[in-house]
Amino acid sequence: MRTVTFLPSYRKIDIERGKTILDAAQNAGLNMNVVCGGQGKCGKCIVYIQSGKTEFDRQKYLRFFTEEELAKGACLACQTTVQGDLQVFIPESSLIQEQKILIEHRDQKIDLRPSVRKFYVELQPPTLADPSPDLTRLLWGIQKNGGPAAEKIYVPLEVMREIPAILRHSDWKVTGTVGLVPGGYRLIDLQENDTAKRVYGAAVDLGSTTIVAYLWDLVEGKVVGVASNYNRQISCGEDILARVNYARKNGLVKLQSLAIESVNTALTTASDNAGIDREDIYEVVVAGNTVMTHMLLGIDPAYIIAEPYVPVVQRALSVAASRIGIACNRNCGLFAFPAVSDFIGGDIIADILACGMAGQEGVSLLIDIGTNFEVVLGNREWMFSCAGAAGPALEGGEVLFGMRANPGAIEKIVIDPETLIPSYSTINNLKPRGITGSGLIDLLAELFAACIIDRNGRIDTGIGNPRIRIGAHFPEYVVAWAKDTDINKDVVITENDIKNLIMSKASVHAACVTLMKEADVTRHDITAIYFAGAFGNYINKKNATIIGLIPEINPDQIRNIGNGAVTGANIALINRRERKTLDEIANRMAYIELNAEPSFMDEYTMSSFLPHTDLTLFPMVQKMLDACRIKRV
Amino acid sequence: MGLPAMFDWNSVIREVVIGATKSDGGTRAVSYRIGGGTTLPFLEKTPKPPLIAFELCDSPQYWSPIITNYCGDVVNSPAEWAKTAGSAYGADIIRLYLTSTRQRNYSDFEAVKRTVELVLDATGLPLIIEGSNEPKIDSEVFLKCGEAGQGERLLLGTAEASRYRSIAAAALAYNHSLIAQSPIDINLAKQLNILLKEIGVPQDHIVIDPYTGTLGYGFEYSYSAMERIRFSALKGDTDLAMPMICSAVDSLSVKEVRDAEPGTRDTMAVAWEFYTGIAAAAAGAEIICVRHPDSIGKLKEAFRSLAHSKVPTGGD
Repeated sequence: MRTVTFLPSYRKIDIERGKTILDAAQNAGLNMNVVCGGQGKCGKCIVYIQSGKTEFDRQKYLRFFTEEELAKGACLACQTTVQGDLQVFIPESSLIQEQKILIEHRDQKIDLRPSVRKFYVELQPPTLADPSPDLTRLLWGIQKNGGPAAEKIYVPLEVMREIPAILRHSDWKVTGTVGLVPGGYRLIDLQENDTAKRVYGAAVDLGSTTIVAYLWDLVEGKVVGVASNYNRQISCGEDILARVNYARKNGLVKLQSLAIESVNTALTTASDNAGIDREDIYEVVVAGNTVMTHMLLGIDPAYIIAEPYVPVVQRALSVAASRIGIACNRNCGLFAFPAVSDFIGGDIIADILACGMAGQEGVSLLIDIGTNFEVVLGNREWMFSCAGAAGPALEGGEVLFGMRANPGAIEKIVIDPETLIPSYSTINNLKPRGITGSGLIDLLAELFAACIIDRNGRIDTGIGNPRIRIGAHFPEYVVAWAKDTDINKDVVITENDIKNLIMSKASVHAACVTLMKEADVTRHDITAIYFAGAFGNYINKKNATIIGLIPEINPDQIRNIGNGAVTGANIALINRRERKTLDEIANRMAYIELNAEPSFMDEYTMSSFLPHTDLTLFPMVQKMLDACRIKRV
Repeated sequence: MGLPAMFDWNSVIREVVIGATKSDGGTRAVSYRIGGGTTLPFLEKTPKPPLIAFELCDSPQYWSPIITNYCGDVVNSPAEWAKTAGSAYGADIIRLYLTSTRQRNYSDFEAVKRTVELVLDATGLPLIIEGSNEPKIDSEVFLKCGEAGQGERLLLGTAEASRYRSIAAAALAYNHSLIAQSPIDINLAKQLNILLKEIGVPQDHIVIDPYTGTLGYGFEYSYSAMERIRFSALKGDTDLAMPMICSAVDSLSVKEVRDAEPGTRDTMAVAWEFYTGIAAAAAGAEIICVRHPDSIGKLKEAFRSLAHSKVPTGGD
């Protein structure tokens, strides 16, 4: 065993020789930035060896380091093995930090019809004249108080065993909790005295990056607590594929327990904030993508990621939460949203529920953007969906100064078309460290509108402006000078970054068009575009149109629904009837495999231009371009 | 032809003028107005066979030995070679590759100017000039070419989406046309034409190079890209309504030619160039470029018979 000490926190961990520094950091509970899942491809896990023996092929990864970093002995934690006792310095930039996560609650007028209800009953003690059994007495009491018919309530053995003691100890004043589960009604708990006001439920968005939990008072129908945190699985790989591969190699157990731990942390934080006992949480509704849902339930996701991409289960599932280790009432139920396919998971079905498109006559387009994107087109009669890889550029990956929505990330940018000087705002108003996805969309649109880049995304290096220059490998535009930043480096966007962004936006737009062609609708038929996902909430709608991320429609008809997954989960939690439509929506939806669609590549190439090769599809952008060109000439 | 040519086409390919005679302010003996088509070339009422450009260079050490051996000493003087191409080989156009500039730290731009002037003096044929392919020096190279050929309506090559500004600047400054090359894709071809339009290159100064793979080595992709480009243009897409130029340079390095017996190598090279050229012509190309002198006569003969509705005999 070797001892690795991490600075500046002085956390120590013992680890076998030959393991990587990343392994050590993870074991020490440090959440490192590993966008690529530890394959040495992203260069985000830079650490500095202060002392001790390691093995690292620096020549192979030279491209990730600046000269300054090399001089300080930088290496990649995921590719460096521990050979002796070490002292390792982890810069802040290599750690995952507190992220701006969407936890805003949206008011929806949904009737309160939870699947769990409590009934306080005061029973007559048995006598020789009335010797009916305890259970009969209890269930009759519940029925008389408005509960379901006594003979319809199933009582599990562990609750049955507790009945005599609780009834007698409480002097026959008890509260029974009845839940509606797929098999029918079930007495899920029995408590002494009147606890009928204490029924809580949790709606959870199980994202591959973040977990968001809403805690509801199911008697009053209001939110009592909200919490969010990172999905701890990130330490096993940033994207889904990396995690499934991790599961293949190292087993599912760790990933499942990390998922449970993440959910439990969110539930604990929310219930502590609300001052309630987790024992009073009787139902958890989870909306997650197909792989996340599989992992949470401990179902092998390996077959989802390889041809022919088959999930184990598609339908909505109701299971006992305690069986997988969710920290709430021992008989708490867990409802998991159904999925459509490998890539259209419960989170998207929740988005659909949240935006209400499945009930509308007009055609809506729903776009959920992350590293992968999902697009749904349809109305109350039909629905098409597809999914694809947008690449990480829109989330800040594969972009030199791209970053997640952490403090110090530039999230909004405007460029003065005369001086070409940008003004920007950063998260928490700190000095800039990088640029978020929404900031990058702004930047791309502004560079384009100011004619700094052409429609192909090439920087016009002929413009005499100090912010436009030839960088080490590509032409670049300086967003912030080193002296104004938190990282002492010029924050730039390179032509290569722009190319990656255009490829990302092109795949989203091409997916939209492919579905529209499949359904035989044009942009004029679309009555609403919904952006879902945490990222979607911060998108500037106008700039998203200018760069051609989405088909051009009236901007008033574009809505950010924010975290649709958690909103959908909320709706399903407080109104059980809404759940009935979910399997039906999932079944109705046609899934279009973009890879099998011959026209997709054509659409993609056409969309790989700002805003699109065919400008007649973007009349508003055309007007804007004409106006700004005239101004420039 | 026997086909009932019923297409829903109502547009015309834009005409591009290459070369300027004395009356147009140049010194060329001939000038060409290419384009103007309303259907596929050999379905026109009066078919207009493609022009044939002979490709040569000013520094032949990397040129195919098949060609340098066949042409002999003349290859060492681009002016002599250009003259021979017109008088002996029968070319319609000279395409001069400034291969001398394709070396590290090239800076003798006056030599470029001299070469272009010598070639212009030596031949009366219109000229296509290919630059250095190196963005860093291309603006200088093209400015010199443009300057030397001022008034001659040159065709400058080759603009690509990743580097088009320098060549466009030279074309604009001296009223030359340019070749816009994109990698075998209708949308990329269209995008490049839009980029050129947006920096002010007139659309009748652009010739599309769809990029030509050699027959049997990817030409089917080129063919379908060309077909789509031409059909879109004829249906009214003005961003694609330009004449096309095809150059199957790989013909000389395909396995069949490389491995041919020394005695049959020329025949092989010509066959490969010929069949690629004839297929490109059928797809709509207005200019076919070749490197082997013998390909010129054969292609011309084939075009003549196609134009007169005779079955072409092919090679011999």
